[in-house]
Amino acid sequence: MSTAVVPRFRAEDVLDQLHGGLIMLDAGLHILLWNAWVARHSRVPADQALGARFEHVFDERVSPALLRAIDNTLGYGLPAVLSSALHRAPLPLYPDHGAAQAAGALAAPARMVQSVVLTPLDSPEGERLCLIQISDASNSVRREKMLQSHSDVLKRQVGTDGLTGIHNRRHFDEHYAQTLQRVGKTGGTLSLFMVDVDFFKQYNDHYGHGPGDQVLKRVAAALQGQLQRPGDLLARYGGEEFILLMEGLSPRQAAEVAEALRETVYALAEPHAKSLVAHRVTISVGVCTRAVQEGMDGRLLMSAADAALYRAKLGGRNKVVATD
Amino acid sequence: MSILNEIERDALTEIFNVGAGRAAQSLSEIVGDEVRLSVPSVEVLRSGAIDEQVLPRTRGRFATVSQNFDGPFDAEAVLLFTEDRALSIVRDMMGSQMSLDELAEFEREAMCELGNIILNACLSAMADMLEITLNSSLPQYLVSSPDDISARLASAQGDESYVLVLHIDLVIEKHQTDGHLIFLLSSSSLHALVEHVQRYLGKIGLG
Repeated sequence: MSTAVVPRFRAEDVLDQLHGGLIMLDAGLHILLWNAWVARHSRVPADQALGARFEHVFDERVSPALLRAIDNTLGYGLPAVLSSALHRAPLPLYPDHGAAQAAGALAAPARMVQSVVLTPLDSPEGERLCLIQISDASNSVRREKMLQSHSDVLKRQVGTDGLTGIHNRRHFDEHYAQTLQRVGKTGGTLSLFMVDVDFFKQYNDHYGHGPGDQVLKRVAAALQGQLQRPGDLLARYGGEEFILLMEGLSPRQAAEVAEALRETVYALAEPHAKSLVAHRVTISVGVCTRAVQEGMDGRLLMSAADAALYRAKLGGRNKVVATD
Repeated sequence: MSILNEIERDALTEIFNVGAGRAAQSLSEIVGDEVRLSVPSVEVLRSGAIDEQVLPRTRGRFATVSQNFDGPFDAEAVLLFTEDRALSIVRDMMGSQMSLDELAEFEREAMCELGNIILNACLSAMADMLEITLNSSLPQYLVSSPDDISARLASAQGDESYVLVLHIDLVIEKHQTDGHLIFLLSSSSLHALVEHVQRYLGKIGLG
């Protein structure tokens, strides 16, 4: 009487049903196992692969990082992971034909995105082998990308001013804090511009809120149009107040930028019957430029720019005051 | 009294710097830019002392990658980066802009691989220079608070346990960051390690 359970299936069949790749190599990189998943996605049948050397079995190049990792696993008996993020597709494996055609490309099909795990395994004879497990990461990459793009859209919405479409105060405050920290480390100057639409309350009272909103949109677009460098950040800071942060300008250059902002709004020639400085919409600008030190309090620059704006308004509006 | 004498500590520092050099080479290949890695110091502490020596200098959470290994001595090797450093490493390697909580699955995988490369390189350098064979588990990635780590240290071993602490300097894409590699060892494993280091020193004529 025997208690041994007679297997009612073959282990090989299980390996071939596995939804993932399995390859076993010996110390000379000869292929000892090549399951059906690998055969299907590599388009190399098992009878051709078994016994062949791993690096010669494919028509295309196997990534050197994978070969090095296999060497390490065989040499030291240490397991290793190769992430899809850093390697993408170390082996020339392709998605199923159907999937590739659905993707619609007549061009060369793209390799499957893979995650690879290498584990050392001792054979019954005491020889060290390397088991390669491969999983298809394309679905998770797709999912990640989708989530990422949704999250990007939401982040943009959270940081955008609904009326003018430029950044809002919340976004600006975050950006300002990060920029202060970064420039504090590397050294450099920051220029903070405070911009206020002159006699805007009177504009709203006279023309109504609808046209008032239109003016804010046009002013925002005009100011935005003056920015050329990717790091420059303009935001709507309050009702008719805008704020702009620029890096690496001298006080003189900052004053020139402020003047260009003032001129561009003046050039819109937007009628404003109730303005006391011109019969058109104008802005006042206060700007302060400072060399940033590590740990500098952002409020200092902010209040200096605010004080400059105040002086510009006091000085008659449609004016620029620059300080450092 | 210190647990390792100066020459033993120097030998271990040398071994781990060989490992760091190998890890840097693998990482440079992956990142496609020069990666530099070095281990400026190695010290052995009682596991209870790690709280005061390593953890309080940092605030916030740690990103950890750990592997258990066994051989002539057994240990759990834990690579620790503070949250902001881990983020800057992942950013440098992949250009991502996320917080640690939203670190996407494949970025965690990248962090896991980075840890695996550094840990394996240190283990393989030990294996080569001390002429031993080590077996290891696959790496595990975990975000932990300093309290979690203290609790792990306290529960993993009894009173008679030690930690081998390596300070690690890492430069990726010209950005400098640092972290720690900690080996949790029982007292018998520590003694076995010291014995192998002494044997190595004897072999190179410094024992």
